[in-house]
Amino acid sequence: MRNLLNFLIKYNSWILFLLLEVACFMLLFRFNNYQGSVFFTSANRFAGRVYEWAGGIHSYFYLRTANEELLDRNLFLERKVEWLTEALAGLQQDSAQVNVRDSALSDVRIIKARVVNNTLNRLDNYITLDKGSADGVKNDMGVVGIEGVAGIVYLVSPHYSLAISVLNRKSSINCKVQGTDYFGYLKWDGGDSRYAYVRDLPRYAEIAVGDTVVTNGYSSVFPAGIMVGRIADISDSDDGLSYLLRVELATDFGTLNDVRLVAPQSQEERMELERGVKE
Amino acid sequence: MAHVYIRRLAGFIGAVLLQVFILNHIHIAGYATPYLYIYFLLKLNAGVSRNVLMFWGFFLGLLIDMFSSTPGLNAASAVLLAFVRQPVLRLFSPKELDNVTPGFGSLGTGVFVKYVVVAVLLHHAVLLGLEAFSFFDWPGLLLKIVLSSLFSIICILAIECLRR
Repeated sequence: MRNLLNFLIKYNSWILFLLLEVACFMLLFRFNNYQGSVFFTSANRFAGRVYEWAGGIHSYFYLRTANEELLDRNLFLERKVEWLTEALAGLQQDSAQVNVRDSALSDVRIIKARVVNNTLNRLDNYITLDKGSADGVKNDMGVVGIEGVAGIVYLVSPHYSLAISVLNRKSSINCKVQGTDYFGYLKWDGGDSRYAYVRDLPRYAEIAVGDTVVTNGYSSVFPAGIMVGRIADISDSDDGLSYLLRVELATDFGTLNDVRLVAPQSQEERMELERGVKE
Repeated sequence: MAHVYIRRLAGFIGAVLLQVFILNHIHIAGYATPYLYIYFLLKLNAGVSRNVLMFWGFFLGLLIDMFSSTPGLNAASAVLLAFVRQPVLRLFSPKELDNVTPGFGSLGTGVFVKYVVVAVLLHHAVLLGLEAFSFFDWPGLLLKIVLSSLFSIICILAIECLRR
């Protein structure tokens, strides 16, 4: 007993060191699959409040750029609406009435949110948002910025939530090349925050640099047709069996500020079904 | 006595705010991010016991982790730095260090620079290594450690020069 006490006293700093490190590592490793760990992230109430306050100041400086971007986007959408109505008018002459707008949005739930914190320089980046379960946010909702896809909600606290950014090695978003049915998974593996990769596109796919990449409706997170980015480069994958696309992301993560959280209305039902299959 | 603690607490809060709001958003060429919060640990009086220093490190790291959504990452590396600070100081400084605040004046320029370089390299290597957690991208990780350390060391020495 005495020896034990002497030992403890002699090596007390070593023991304290080990205890603290064990505590740190438990936090580090349980973060991935432990809901309670939301307390130790920036989605907790205290950090969220501080970030919200700082984000308010920060966003003030970007109002001008945000405005310009909105104008650009608005213009683009107006042109698109015009083009679509024309196309529709042409088709309607000999087909049934289609209400494009309603069918496009009727089945999607949308929540407005503001980014209170966002990083780009880590290997696993997260976005903190100022809406939580009290506002109806749920896990696995999609996060969409002004220009396009930004991430997926990961942890939810009552008033804040944490989303996995596209710039995160865990992120994997199902997308396709617009106008075709070729699909693949959008991945990021560190480095430049403007580019990500889409793997596993078949070699016979007819695609070209500059083509638009959008979400496809296969994943239960995003509705179909949300902008992801443009193809910047096409090369062969390591095994030579498929194409590897380098995609220039539409979202500028450096200035991400106002976002929408989206989820198809049928998301829960569908996820339950898919979970049932896995088990 | 009380004002020593108030100054320490102010330094602690200042280090967290600076790191979280400004430095965490700097990433030169996608590689170099300065982690200057350890300056607080490096500058604590050499008379502070090892255990107390580790607690400072733990809470400093934990608070920064909380803001950057990396639970345990900064805390683990800051505790390690606090643990090895005394041996590192002893290694370079021949003098008795009872009640000395590490700096150019108290340690001598050469000793202080060596102390900062070793401490920063160690901390950054552990921090960035833990963050990557796999060594699949050796060159990238090494480049990141070296550039970030270089950036941090230059900043720390510059602040030290200004405060002298």
